[in-house]
Amino acid sequence: MTIPRYSIPILTIVLLFAGYFLRFAFTQPTTSVEFGETGKAKLVCIVDGVKCKGTANYFTNMFNGVEGISSIETIATEHIATFTYDPTKINREQIRKIIEQPILLRDGSSRQFFSCVKMK
Amino acid sequence: MKTRVLRYSMLTVVLGLTTYLALGFGKRSFEAYCPFGGMESLWGLFREGQFSCATGPLNLSMLVAVIILALIAKKAFCGWVCPIGFLSELIGRLGLKIIPRNTKLNPKLNDRLKLIRYVGLILALYFTYRTGELILRGYDPFYIIFSGFGHGTLGLVTIIVFTITIIGSFLIPMFFCRYLCPLGATIDPFSRLGLIKIARDEELCIDCGDCQAACPHDIAPHEMIYVRHRDCTNCLECIDACPEKDCLTLKVKL
Repeated sequence: MTIPRYSIPILTIVLLFAGYFLRFAFTQPTTSVEFGETGKAKLVCIVDGVKCKGTANYFTNMFNGVEGISSIETIATEHIATFTYDPTKINREQIRKIIEQPILLRDGSSRQFFSCVKMK
Repeated sequence: MKTRVLRYSMLTVVLGLTTYLALGFGKRSFEAYCPFGGMESLWGLFREGQFSCATGPLNLSMLVAVIILALIAKKAFCGWVCPIGFLSELIGRLGLKIIPRNTKLNPKLNDRLKLIRYVGLILALYFTYRTGELILRGYDPFYIIFSGFGHGTLGLVTIIVFTITIIGSFLIPMFFCRYLCPLGATIDPFSRLGLIKIARDEELCIDCGDCQAACPHDIAPHEMIYVRHRDCTNCLECIDACPEKDCLTLKVKL
């Protein structure tokens, strides 16, 4: 069966758009850590600075020992961090403060690495 | 309208969008769209159920889309979308303009050199899976160009590899795609099965060889009935170059 030439670019565009939306089918995170608390409130943050597994691990470790955080899941390429927390122990603004706190560098200076662009 | 005008327009749009993302204007990094990132993430997903390094869901879904596309329309992704294929083709054309030549690489040597991309694929995946780092960044022109020799490149080693790639592309059209591209190696088996392929009408063909001369991958459609070659990107340059109307057409054939 003969087909027109323009079927190739059309097919290519259609399949790549399909691929773009297919990303929702892959829900595996970059990191997923549970802290042993029982809070169930959910907070999704778009975090500037979470770019790869390394930064996602660093980001997650910032919440080690923080009371009220039950779990953190990140998807680095989407810059998404999803928290489950106990609102009686910690609130959204306190979480934002921890995210945006300056980080101490080896040379003794400090710099803000992460910023919360959006909270849902 | 010549197909090349349409193809180059599409490639220019993709190149523009990639540059836009590389300059930090988009929501995601340009790397998030690379289908090879999907390959690099497979081991991490299989072992830990997590994406490794800077790969994510979009890399994987793009890989799935490119494989399905290859099963339908061969390596159309390489010929119609890939910005590195586009740059490689432009550098190759520039090379032919500056140093016009008719000599072609010995077909046997050409085929043997293509094995390098499989070695590259195996090494890239082995070291990525072993270290959890995107080890290919230091050698990958897509990352080197759009990150501007950014994080993960290897200084002098990257400069040497990148220079060889540019000089190679100048002397041999599609040098990177032919001999080095690990994504090309990944989709080779699917491309071979691709349903839509170029067909030649033996009765109309005058065996002039213009189709092979126009093919960026030096495939010889005038020696085949159906172009099943794994490197065919369905760029349709051969159809445009053919002097006989309807001698080369696009057909759906198992």
